[in-house]
Amino acid sequence: MSQQVTLTIDGKQVTVPAGWTVVDAARVANVHIPVFCYHPKLEPVGMCRMCLVEVGLPERDRATGEIVRNEDGSPKIRFFPKLQTACTTYVQEGMVIRTTTEQVARARKDILEFLLTSHPLDCPICDKGGECPLQNLTMAYGPGTSRFPYEYKLHLEKRVPLGDLIILDRERCIICGRCVRFQAEIAEDPVLSLDGRGRATYIITTSDPPFDSYWSGNTTDICPVGALTTTDFRFDARPWEMHQAASLCNLCPVGCNIMFDIRREPELGGRFAVQRVMPRQNEYVNEIWICDKGRFAAYHFAQYGERLTQPLVRENGKLRPASWREALERVAQAFREAGSGLVTLASGRLSNEDLFNLARLTDHLGGRKVLDTFLAGGEWTDKVGLGRESDLAALGEGDAILVMASDLEEEAPIFWLRVKEAAQRGATLVVANPRPTKIERHAKHVLRYVYGEEGKVWEALLAGASEAAQALARAENLVIFYGQEGLDLATSDAVARAAARLLLTTGHAGKPNSGLVAVWPRNNDQGAWDMGFRPVADLADTLRQVKALYVVAADPAGDDPHLAAALEGADFLVVQDLFLTETAQRADVVLPAQAYIERGGTYTNALRRVQRFFPAVPPPEGPQPDFAIVAALARLLDLNLEGRSTAKGFEALAAQVPAYQGLTYKDLARVEEQFPLVSREVLDYTGTAYPNGQGLGVVLPNAVERGETVAPPEAPEFPVRAFQGLLAVPITRLYDRGTLVAWSDTLAPRLPEEAWVWVAPETARDLGLQDDATARLEIGDLAYTVRVRVNPAVPGGVVLVPRSVGVVLFTPVAVHLKAVVPAS
Amino acid sequence: MFKELGALVKGLSVTFKSMFEPKVTFQYPEQKRPVKPRYRGRHVLRRYENGLERCIGCSLCAAACPADAIFVEAAENTDEERYSPGERYAAVYEINYLRCIFCGYCEDACPTQAIVLTDQYELSFTDRWDAIYTKERLLEPVPPGARPTPQKTEPGKFVNPIPEMPDFPEWKP
Amino acid sequence: MNAFYERHKEEIERILAKYPPEHKRSAMLPLLYLAQRDEGYITREAMAQIAEILDVSVTEVDGVVGFYTLLHDKPGGKYRIQVCTDLPCALRGAEQFLHQLEEALGIKAGETTPDGLITLEEVMCIAACDKAPVFQVQTGEGLTYYENMDLEKTLALIAEWRKKHTKTPEGNSS
Repeated sequence: MSQQVTLTIDGKQVTVPAGWTVVDAARVANVHIPVFCYHPKLEPVGMCRMCLVEVGLPERDRATGEIVRNEDGSPKIRFFPKLQTACTTYVQEGMVIRTTTEQVARARKDILEFLLTSHPLDCPICDKGGECPLQNLTMAYGPGTSRFPYEYKLHLEKRVPLGDLIILDRERCIICGRCVRFQAEIAEDPVLSLDGRGRATYIITTSDPPFDSYWSGNTTDICPVGALTTTDFRFDARPWEMHQAASLCNLCPVGCNIMFDIRREPELGGRFAVQRVMPRQNEYVNEIWICDKGRFAAYHFAQYGERLTQPLVRENGKLRPASWREALERVAQAFREAGSGLVTLASGRLSNEDLFNLARLTDHLGGRKVLDTFLAGGEWTDKVGLGRESDLAALGEGDAILVMASDLEEEAPIFWLRVKEAAQRGATLVVANPRPTKIERHAKHVLRYVYGEEGKVWEALLAGASEAAQALARAENLVIFYGQEGLDLATSDAVARAAARLLLTTGHAGKPNSGLVAVWPRNNDQGAWDMGFRPVADLADTLRQVKALYVVAADPAGDDPHLAAALEGADFLVVQDLFLTETAQRADVVLPAQAYIERGGTYTNALRRVQRFFPAVPPPEGPQPDFAIVAALARLLDLNLEGRSTAKGFEALAAQVPAYQGLTYKDLARVEEQFPLVSREVLDYTGTAYPNGQGLGVVLPNAVERGETVAPPEAPEFPVRAFQGLLAVPITRLYDRGTLVAWSDTLAPRLPEEAWVWVAPETARDLGLQDDATARLEIGDLAYTVRVRVNPAVPGGVVLVPRSVGVVLFTPVAVHLKAVVPAS
Repeated sequence: MFKELGALVKGLSVTFKSMFEPKVTFQYPEQKRPVKPRYRGRHVLRRYENGLERCIGCSLCAAACPADAIFVEAAENTDEERYSPGERYAAVYEINYLRCIFCGYCEDACPTQAIVLTDQYELSFTDRWDAIYTKERLLEPVPPGARPTPQKTEPGKFVNPIPEMPDFPEWKP
Repeated sequence: MNAFYERHKEEIERILAKYPPEHKRSAMLPLLYLAQRDEGYITREAMAQIAEILDVSVTEVDGVVGFYTLLHDKPGGKYRIQVCTDLPCALRGAEQFLHQLEEALGIKAGETTPDGLITLEEVMCIAACDKAPVFQVQTGEGLTYYENMDLEKTLALIAEWRKKHTKTPEGNSS
């Protein structure tokens, strides 16, 4: 515990840790000190002068150093002759702050008058109007009139696009520099800057491409005026017209807490619809930030995608609409006949309640539960994952983090942020990756290996010989992240085993802030593992032999033509999805499911935190929630499952799944005071992020904490690949062409238009390829036309293929890459 | 008998008297009664003299409306397709006359004096949907000689959402 | 590395050596002066190349160039007259002086005379409020202050420069 300091603010005594600023202390004491440039997550700069207060300190006798006392024995306070900025003044023992004096009120009034000299005051058409710190503070502290002539106002550009997602209004900007500092300090993409001096200071970006950052949307939240707006929400609705629904982002395994702002949408026939995504505070997960993918694509697919509206059954080779009863009876009949020949293929997009019901139904019939993924290791994250009460914010000096085979910012941006922050607090960061990634800037040790030789890294780490290995073993707490960089099922399984072995042999397993984290490809993969779904080594082979196949929230045919061919072998195919996917087009029965914004449930994120999401908009007519469909189906097969409420479903789940034992929705709804204090009433302090009143979720206990004996696994055998020539390796990029993001018009300009690959300059030279050339990539029996991007950061001899950008690749294989001679 | 006749004459005298009194009823709809100067009837959305719409889609009328009768959806102007001065215009503007209580708060809230209540009181509907007046029905006709919206305008000319521009027709509050 | 680096390799290495490698961005100002010496102003290419050498974003370099009145991102005349019009100077008539000068030269602040001799600029404080109207003249050779100026004195000065540049053969000037 750091040293505590007690000070008095407006007569209220408050005790806060040393090193806090007066603004933060006042916030905790519930005294409002208005700010524009200060933000509790950013370094103070004292630029805007809005936080001027009277600061006094106990007077000390110069000779003796003793505190001078008044007659009544209280310390004599000596006030600074001039006002001080509270954001750059740090708390001291016995300090006295006065914010209600005439002098302070006058200063605030004058600062606001200055700020408004060139503000356009176009609040009626400003998207920030209604949730604007400048508006609120002017109403609270500002002058009613201005002494400056109206003609002196500067007239500047109203619409300066800073990249594809953010638009700047130069007239409204008050040069607080929050966006510039956010990009430099937090996002570490310093693509914004202040240009010029005095009244002619502007926000600029001259980088190419402009404002190229995955974090740009957050600048609009912390902008204290309407200078920065998103293209997604620009002129869409006024803040007071919308109501809120708490939810989670479902695009990556971080599970960021978000808030949907909802209003009727004429474009959708006047239905209630999500207008924008805002971050919701959860200091254990996403703090008060979200990445651009979540902000600009988390709901579009549900709202603007071509959704299935009714069940379909196949008749005479064609799908035709059918009633729920007919469709379900047909499915039940087929499942009954199939019996143990049933395979349920589900993905980690489903909620825990859905997956639990699916697992029960499959077990009831003796079928097989298959998880649609390319990353293994879920049983090890359950055994030695981050334990109860884990908090990435607690990692610092003396702790260590290993990031293995993961481009963290691309796979799960918030994890990049949290790991980076831990490293900045003093945690030893070890990064093992075949190519440099953004997280490496903060690494103490970088372990470079060749794609496919992950085993060598682990051999060295487990032997404990290297400096990095010793740093990991010595650390007080050890967190290991492994991700998706070039890993397939077999290798990721070996990586997870090796990591578990390291955690168990170094005595870290079972400690609250130590454990294994898999950066899963889907938001609820951890939940799917917990419910008993497992990937299979040869999915095509499995699919070929099934009697009845139940595909839920997965699209094997769309993912891989080989799987599409294998589906022909299935006698009966049922697809339950939002869209008429490639797989659904081949189905015998198609069941329309509700999107997650239309229903509630829980997801378990990669840190094994179970969090709840709520229905945000009324569901369209037709589709049903997944768990209810499964329950209705189960009833026809003489099995009683919970199909009415997710709360009941979660209770049933908690009664049976060991890690979830005893949990209820009430536990998930627990909230606590989190620093910085976020409030919609004090918008100037943290911006427009929402406070968390709906629940912070619960971290599941790992097997060690549950009292199970977990023996260290044997050092795993890593698969050895014998190949010649060029190796194609799958990697993950945040902006891909996945089915969910593809429906977002907002994000569309940032998504890749065509399939592309990365190669090293020397590889390109050897293959006779130029940067930006079109080439033919041959993988086995498939061939693709790809754009070649030469990247000096890529090791030689490999072609890096981004997942879900048009090329099907699940495991590193030898390929051919040839230049395409354009037909002239 | 005379007594009864007297009663008849007395009664008819009232009838005859009233036949020569001035009429108080109006033969509506052939005859229309003039309304008071501050009568509050159905709204119109006004235009400037050059045909641009005054409404900037700020939705403050909807916020002020105690009956939740107004719905506004805004969109962004461009110089290629300009509806109103400034950046923002109302892409959708609807008033539900089954809800409207003609209080005039919308008029008070409007920063551009775009929405005003007129003296039109003939509001009857045979269908609930007809009671929802869309922007097309609410907008004033385009002034003579002006172009309809959207207009193609000179870049940089209409940056201010609340410009000093002549009205049409001359509006007397 | 890049063209700018190759051109001034030795000098850049000497500048970089003055700063700890993890804080090499501190070398930005000396490198910008180096770039300005080449062309009389800092080209976009030079900014990008300096950003590459210092491992910062080009926007950050741009911000620094924008902050300092002695660094320029646009070509200008041989003499840059930089008039301070901040409040104390304005009270001593600097704004009026600037307008007179604009009229006399036929250009607005920020523009260059057609003969390419003079660029007129309005700048923030140059620390001589008491001697306003005051301006500094930046040439390839350095910086000169002219204090307590008025239009007459300034025009005489300009006439002198003009004479100097019409007399001297091309290439020897500035």
